[in-house]
Amino acid sequence: MTTFLKKFWNSGTLFIWICGGAVTASVFLVVGVLLLIMVNGLGYFWPSNLVEFELADGKKILGELKHREIIPDSVSVQSPDGKGRFNLKIGNRDLYGLDFRWVDEDQVVAQRLPLKATAFERREWGNFYGYLQEIKQRDSVLVSGDEAWKLLGPLVVEANELHEEIAHIEKGEIGAINHEIEQARLRIRGLELQGKNDSSEIFDLKADVKRLDSQYEKHVQGLDILRKRLHEYSIVLRDANGEMKELPMGQIIGALQPNAMSAFAKILTYIKNFWNVLTEEPREANTEGGIFPAIFGTVMMVLIMSVAVVPFGVLAAFYLREYAKQGPLTRAVRIAVNNLAGVPSIVFGVFGLGFFVYAVGGTIDTLFYPEAFPNPTFGTGGILWASLTLALMTVPVVIVSTEEGLSAVPREYREGSAALGATKIETMLRVILPSALPGILTGLILAISRATGEVAPLMLTGVVKLAPSLPVDGLFPFVHFDRKFMHLGFHIYDVGFQSPNVEAAKPMVYVTTLVLVLVVVLLNITAIAVRNHMRKKLRGASI
Amino acid sequence: MNIFQSNTGSEIPLAKASLSARVGARTIRRWTDKVATGIVTLGGLATILSILGIFVYLFIEVVPLFYSASVTQEASVSVKVEGSAKGLPNQIGVGLDEYMEVGYVIYRGSISLFHLDSGKSIPIDSSLKLDHESIISVGRSGAQGNVYGLGTADGRVIPLTIDFKVSFLDGVRSIHPELSTGSPLEISVESEPVRYLAYRELSDGGSVSAAVNDKGEVQLLKMIEEEGGLFSSEAKQILTRGQLPMEASTPPSAMLLDGMGETLVVGSEKGELLYWDITNVESPRLMGVYQAAPFSQGTVTAMSYLIGDRSFVVGTSEGKVSVWMPFVDPDKGGDSRLSEVRTFSQHEGAITSISPSQRDKGFLTADDTGSVFLHHSTSGQTLAQIPGAGRPVQALMFSPKGDGVIFADGSGKIMTYRIENEHPETTIASIFKPVLYEGYDQPNHIWQSSSGSDDFEPKFGLWPLIFGTLKGTFYAMLLATPLALLGAIYTAMFMHPDLRSVVKPVVEIMEAFPTVVLGFLAGLWLAPLLEKIFPAVVGMFLIVPVALVCMCLFWQIVPAWIRRGSGSTTEFLAFGVVLLSSLWLCISFNTHIESWLFQGNYKDWLSSTFGLAYDQRNAMVIAFAMGMAVIPTIYSISEDSISNVPRHLIAGSLALGATPWQTLTKLVIVSASPGLFSALMIGLGRVVGETMIVLMATGNTPVMDMNLFNGFRTLSANIAVEMPEAPEGGTLFRLLFLAGMILFAFTSVVNTIAEVIRQRLRAKYSQY
Repeated sequence: MTTFLKKFWNSGTLFIWICGGAVTASVFLVVGVLLLIMVNGLGYFWPSNLVEFELADGKKILGELKHREIIPDSVSVQSPDGKGRFNLKIGNRDLYGLDFRWVDEDQVVAQRLPLKATAFERREWGNFYGYLQEIKQRDSVLVSGDEAWKLLGPLVVEANELHEEIAHIEKGEIGAINHEIEQARLRIRGLELQGKNDSSEIFDLKADVKRLDSQYEKHVQGLDILRKRLHEYSIVLRDANGEMKELPMGQIIGALQPNAMSAFAKILTYIKNFWNVLTEEPREANTEGGIFPAIFGTVMMVLIMSVAVVPFGVLAAFYLREYAKQGPLTRAVRIAVNNLAGVPSIVFGVFGLGFFVYAVGGTIDTLFYPEAFPNPTFGTGGILWASLTLALMTVPVVIVSTEEGLSAVPREYREGSAALGATKIETMLRVILPSALPGILTGLILAISRATGEVAPLMLTGVVKLAPSLPVDGLFPFVHFDRKFMHLGFHIYDVGFQSPNVEAAKPMVYVTTLVLVLVVVLLNITAIAVRNHMRKKLRGASI
Repeated sequence: MNIFQSNTGSEIPLAKASLSARVGARTIRRWTDKVATGIVTLGGLATILSILGIFVYLFIEVVPLFYSASVTQEASVSVKVEGSAKGLPNQIGVGLDEYMEVGYVIYRGSISLFHLDSGKSIPIDSSLKLDHESIISVGRSGAQGNVYGLGTADGRVIPLTIDFKVSFLDGVRSIHPELSTGSPLEISVESEPVRYLAYRELSDGGSVSAAVNDKGEVQLLKMIEEEGGLFSSEAKQILTRGQLPMEASTPPSAMLLDGMGETLVVGSEKGELLYWDITNVESPRLMGVYQAAPFSQGTVTAMSYLIGDRSFVVGTSEGKVSVWMPFVDPDKGGDSRLSEVRTFSQHEGAITSISPSQRDKGFLTADDTGSVFLHHSTSGQTLAQIPGAGRPVQALMFSPKGDGVIFADGSGKIMTYRIENEHPETTIASIFKPVLYEGYDQPNHIWQSSSGSDDFEPKFGLWPLIFGTLKGTFYAMLLATPLALLGAIYTAMFMHPDLRSVVKPVVEIMEAFPTVVLGFLAGLWLAPLLEKIFPAVVGMFLIVPVALVCMCLFWQIVPAWIRRGSGSTTEFLAFGVVLLSSLWLCISFNTHIESWLFQGNYKDWLSSTFGLAYDQRNAMVIAFAMGMAVIPTIYSISEDSISNVPRHLIAGSLALGATPWQTLTKLVIVSASPGLFSALMIGLGRVVGETMIVLMATGNTPVMDMNLFNGFRTLSANIAVEMPEAPEGGTLFRLLFLAGMILFAFTSVVNTIAEVIRQRLRAKYSQY
């Protein structure tokens, strides 16, 4: 036995096992995190059943069952298993004040899944869980009971269409008028600053503003009519304890009776919910609705960044690898560039704020936008500055990756091209660049994936929790580089940590997280695939 | 590498024949090439320089923090004094408005208002009942506002307020000074002249005065304003008088009242400070006597509270300037003890006047040689000096915005200077060394950049943040280093290639994982979970190694067809089984572990055994989350460097009979050690600057202790928290740049070391 142990010890197998344990733990951590996000993020869309608990005191509770846990202090020697309790999402924030409630297991007398239990998605106050009592048309009861449920669908569709119309007028037409008024006002101010106080141009502009104002009034009246139509119908809801709640039809976004739904219907709802989150605007301080503006902002920022980062990164890499004289200096520069890839992102944020926003943006404002003073145009955070900051942060990644691509191009290519009489730039453009393209592409993808997930520098250079309008719209000049924008990563931070009701906001954060992680992981997998492909191809070529 | 070097600019020899046939095309091509070379060189250099320029830019933003103040003369005007029959009277008070346009002088016997640019005097409203002739002394009430008590020759105190009303007409600013007086207060019943006066208006409308008469007695007067009755709108004044029981041997030479009117500091001709409690003016109580000037060398000549009324400046006849603070002394039954905390540059003559800034803890001192010094209390530095003209400065005031000074030196001229003094509170020492702040009893490292009140003393000690950064780094590396390095060793040396091609990318995916996601999970999922299952986690750290050893021993007797050699998938599965089962075991026995190890409640146990408090968002959560963020980096680089150890060396070692483990420790690790080191360095660099995880999963409290179970604030999180509120160009703004620069410098050094080592390594292996 002792010899066995001695041999075992000397063989080092034990240490190898400890190493193995470490790698397994690392893999588990990674997979665990991914699973956690998947489960929580994907679970959000599933229309869960509504459970009704009858409690010992005769009260009833209806809601989504979230989970069961052991009451922390209930475990003792006498009851080693402790007592359990359920966490229910009870919704009806306007009635109860809270979205979630703990119910002790021993308080529950009966538990059932009522078929008629309905989850109403509302524009305000979160979900309502209860029963549909009746539908009213201007204070007189139209239908009640099952008939009401049948009528509800078309009415909700109609209400949603009305809402869309209102949103369209508000954002589109009224937005355009406001924009024009603002532009005219700025032009008047600009002319005044130039001392042309009495020019005919100002007179015309002022007439324009008047005309726009009257247009605006007309639209507002139109909106009033539409809003009244939203209040034409109303529904009366009953919660589990029979308390009534009347809501105008315009408050309802959708209604489901999950307990009565088939699995297939649930899957359809699931897909629809997923789609809605991706395409809708946020509601209720970002805790409900969709994340479309955040996705849009992220994508647009990354696009601007890519446009900025590729030419400069590639130029620098070509210079370093192909044009500069190789020596201690280039080596030092290379180390410095490598270092920059390791500099914390927040430092770039600080730089971006000081240099881009205050120094460059402030100068642009004084030179080109004196009429907007004291409101900053470019002298405050915006999508352009955020993108440029990230471009600066990721340019080392592109340089390093492009250099790698260049160094992988066999020397014979250059010599062959020169031998055939090509000038240097011809060689570069026709021979080296195509061969190094995969390297450049890898660099770009890595840069994008780093930029997509980065939040800290954006917090200083132009991201906001709720942007009133997208950086691109139908108003001249269509792309607004000076606008602030929303971002998936910041959305996670903001909703998860700054919202007043964190518990209710959690699902939204998980969904945002899921989307962000999916984007980043996909980008990285693409980068790895491109790199592997490139290596194989070039290895094949060199032989 | 560069085969074009020799022949750029001339035609390429091989292609000579064909090129000479098409001269035009050749020239164009040659020019294109030259232009392109220029563009690439320029663009490349510009890109490289601009990214290297970041450091330069940060530096440029930081440097002004350490600039001294600069002083430039603005104006020197002669002021005609109306009704001065007895020659040029003494100037006992000066002041000016916040735009430095209108000034005033209080003389013995008169008051004069004038424009600072022209010296043209402004008539004083004649309805003002001011008995000019009898004014012989003046006491300024605190730093804020132009509020005075004027002492008269017949023992009265006249409250005087000078307001500057600003109005704009067609965009042109004009300033209208308005004088108003309160009803005279009779401080001396016997109508003795008020030689020195200390005066303070209280926030409730009352006032406190202390006057020295010709006999050297200090008389006190407290005025309380009471609401009139139901039918009278006039407030009623209630006067209380008292006298300090002073010995005649210590004649008072300066006096100082605090803003609450509760204490009085009397400076004596012997250089003493007598600290009186005058809460009850009828029976003042001496709380202590302190020596401000070396014994019987000089008298106390001037005193002034700094903004906030906590610390005060004392000037002596020897030109010594010092700041004193009250400290709560438990031995004295709740009374405060005065102590000298800082001394400043010595003046050449006796201090005649001291004026505190209304913006910060800065102050001006003037002496009888006419020079004026600018000091700052918190940083303890003397920032600027205005050389004297030889005549004593009689009155002095810091401008309301802290950007100028006005003083009178008895020559009949009033001088104004502009002061450029952006960042008086920062020196290298005040940032990196402990500083004695107001309200603390010993020097401390404190970061507290802002507060609600105006008279707040900003505390800009960066150490708590640097400490927090290092604390987070330490714990994260403590977790990540063993996991990542051991994992890399196993993956590179023992794992089957097929398995490796799956495992490595999976871990590497994590490298690109947005840290905001990890921060969110750490803050909202892990932190509450960890609080619940802390005993289980401790159990994991104990049980997993034991379980691994047991499983390993058991594995030796498992038939070989199951084992299928070291590094196989089955072995990997065995690890998984060990980990998952111990995890399950620990979590399901969480409460049992808690009762076995921690007597039933781990929080109580921690606080009773080690005196540690457990916060939900603590360094342990950070260790897990930042560890997660950095494991892939370290793992990936060290795996590469181990894989790059030449295979023939390993084969040779194994062929000579060494076990895999011996080969690993004696050969592989040694050869790969520079690579492993550089992996750790790069990981370190990443952890140091990590922002979102720390921001979201710690409490962000800038405390300094190594407790694993409480939070901290790092340099990076601090930037993210405070930068949005920092006004551009302000001290906080530049300090946050300094924080950024420190991060930049630290990560640069660490990464450079890593990179140099890696290049050496590459050179070393290229010879095999």
